[in-house]
Amino acid sequence: MSDPILRFDGVTVRRGDFLLDHISFSVENQEMFAIIGRTGAGKTLLLEAAAGFYRPEAGSVLYRGSPVLDVPLYRRNIGYLYQEYCLFPHMTAEENIGYPLRMRHEDKQAVKENVRDIAFRFGVDGVLSQYPGTLSGGEQQRVALARALLMHPPLLLLDEPFSALDPVTKKRMYRMIQKVRKTYACAVLFVTHDFEEARLLADHIGVMIGGRLKGVVTPTHLFDHNWDEETHAFLGSTCANGGNDDDA
Amino acid sequence: MKGRRPDTFVTICMLLMGIAVVSIGSNVLVVVLQGAKSLFRSVSQSETRFAIGLSVGSACVSTLVCFLLAVPTAYVLTRSSFPGRSAIEGVLELTMTLPNIVLGLSLLIIFASPFGKVLKKTGFAVVFNPRGVVIAQLVVNLPFAIKLASAAFRDVNVKLEHVAGLLGASPFRQFTSVLLPLSKNALISTVILIWFRALGEFGATMMLVGVTRMKTETLPASIYLNVSVNDLDGALSSAFILLMISAVSFLVADWLTRRGGKRSRYE
Repeated sequence: MSDPILRFDGVTVRRGDFLLDHISFSVENQEMFAIIGRTGAGKTLLLEAAAGFYRPEAGSVLYRGSPVLDVPLYRRNIGYLYQEYCLFPHMTAEENIGYPLRMRHEDKQAVKENVRDIAFRFGVDGVLSQYPGTLSGGEQQRVALARALLMHPPLLLLDEPFSALDPVTKKRMYRMIQKVRKTYACAVLFVTHDFEEARLLADHIGVMIGGRLKGVVTPTHLFDHNWDEETHAFLGSTCANGGNDDDA
Repeated sequence: MKGRRPDTFVTICMLLMGIAVVSIGSNVLVVVLQGAKSLFRSVSQSETRFAIGLSVGSACVSTLVCFLLAVPTAYVLTRSSFPGRSAIEGVLELTMTLPNIVLGLSLLIIFASPFGKVLKKTGFAVVFNPRGVVIAQLVVNLPFAIKLASAAFRDVNVKLEHVAGLLGASPFRQFTSVLLPLSKNALISTVILIWFRALGEFGATMMLVGVTRMKTETLPASIYLNVSVNDLDGALSSAFILLMISAVSFLVADWLTRRGGKRSRYE
C-alpha cells in the first residue's frame, strides 16, 4: 500500500495568534479532502504547514512519505492557491502562468506553447496580455490555478477557493475543480467555512475548531457523527447518540 | 446657487500648509536668488570645481557601497528569523539617532588607532584624506539605507515569495524575479535619498577628514569655508550648485520610478 500523499503526525505550529495543536490526518493520492472551520480556526496555517512554509514545534508533516522540510521549497512541486490568489502583479497573466517553466529554464517557445494550451483549458487565453490588476476575480483565480497546475503537482492546496465568487461562478468552479482533480490526477486539500461546499466536493471532511482537528468524516456523516458539544454547536447539529440534523 | 462654505478643518489645514510652504520656500528662494548672482564667478574657481567633483564622486561611491551592503542586510532582517535579530535592529535604530558629528568622532578614534595606522601603512589612509569622505558618508547613511530597504521589502507580500518558491524559484530567483521588481521604486527612492544625504553630509566628514581646500573640500565644506572668511556670495553660490544638483536628481528619480502599462482596472 503506497504512502498517503500528505500526512500530518501530531503537528503543532504557532504563528502569532494562530495555533495548530497536535494535528493528525492524512490525504490519499487523488483524494479531495476538505477542512472546515470558522475564521481564525487555523485553516490557512494548516495549509501553509502542509506546504512546509514553517517548521513545526512538534510532530512532522510528511509529503510523499518524507518530511516535507527535507526537500527545498523549490523542489517540492506542490500547487498552492491563496485566498487572494497571489498573482505576481508586475507580470502579465501569460508571464504568471509560464513562471514555473521559466524557473526551470525551459525553452521560450515551449513555455509559450504550454502556457497557451493550459490557458485555453482554463478559459483565460483571451486575457494573457493583461496584468492581474485588470482581471476579474474569476479570471484571476483561473490564472492562478493554471499557474499552480502547469507542472502537474501531485498535491494542490486551496485556501477558501470559492469564498469570493458569486453563486453562478462558484458552481462553474466546483465543476472545474472536480475536472482538475481527474485531469491532473492530483490530490486536493482545500479549506472552507462552507459546509455544503465541503459535502458536495470532498471525499473526506476534517472539522477544525480552535486550532484542533476534531475529527475526520465522510460527507454523509458530517452532521450525525458522534461529535463533542462544541463541534455540534459549530455545525449547528444536535448533540446526540446517532442523532440527525436539526429541523431548524 | 450659492457655493458651499469651505470646511473649517480643511481651511485650518490649508493655512498651516501655507506657513510650512513659506518657511521652506523662503530658504530655497534665498539660495536661488542670491546664489545665482555669483554662480559663474564661483564655478570659474578651481576650488569650487574641485568641491563639486569630490562631492559628486564621493556621494556616488559611498551610495553604491551603501546599497550593496544595505540590500542583503535588509533581506536577512525581513525574511529570516535568527537569534539576536532584535538586538541588531536596535543597534541600527540607535545609530540613526546619533548626531553625525558623534559618528565622525568615533570614526576618527577608530582610524587614528593602531588599526588605522596599519591601514595607512598599507596605503589606505583615511584621516584627513579624501577616502575618509566616502567612509564618513557610508557610516552616516548605512543605517538609514538598511531601514529604508527593510521598509521596501516589508511592503512586499511575503506570500508572493512563498508561491514563487513552490513554483520552482530558488531563494535567489525569488529575490530577483519577485522581491526586487516589486520593491524597485522604493529602492530607487532609497538610492536617491541616500545620495542626497551623502552629498550634503558635513558633520562626520569634518571630524574625520577636516576641511582643507583642494584636498577634502566638499560642497558643504566649501560653504563652511566661505562663511568662515565672510564670503557669503561664494557660500550661497555653492549652496545654489547643491540645489541644482538636487533638482536634476529629483527629475531623474521621477523618470526612473515612472511605471509603464495599465496594471490596474482603475488607471
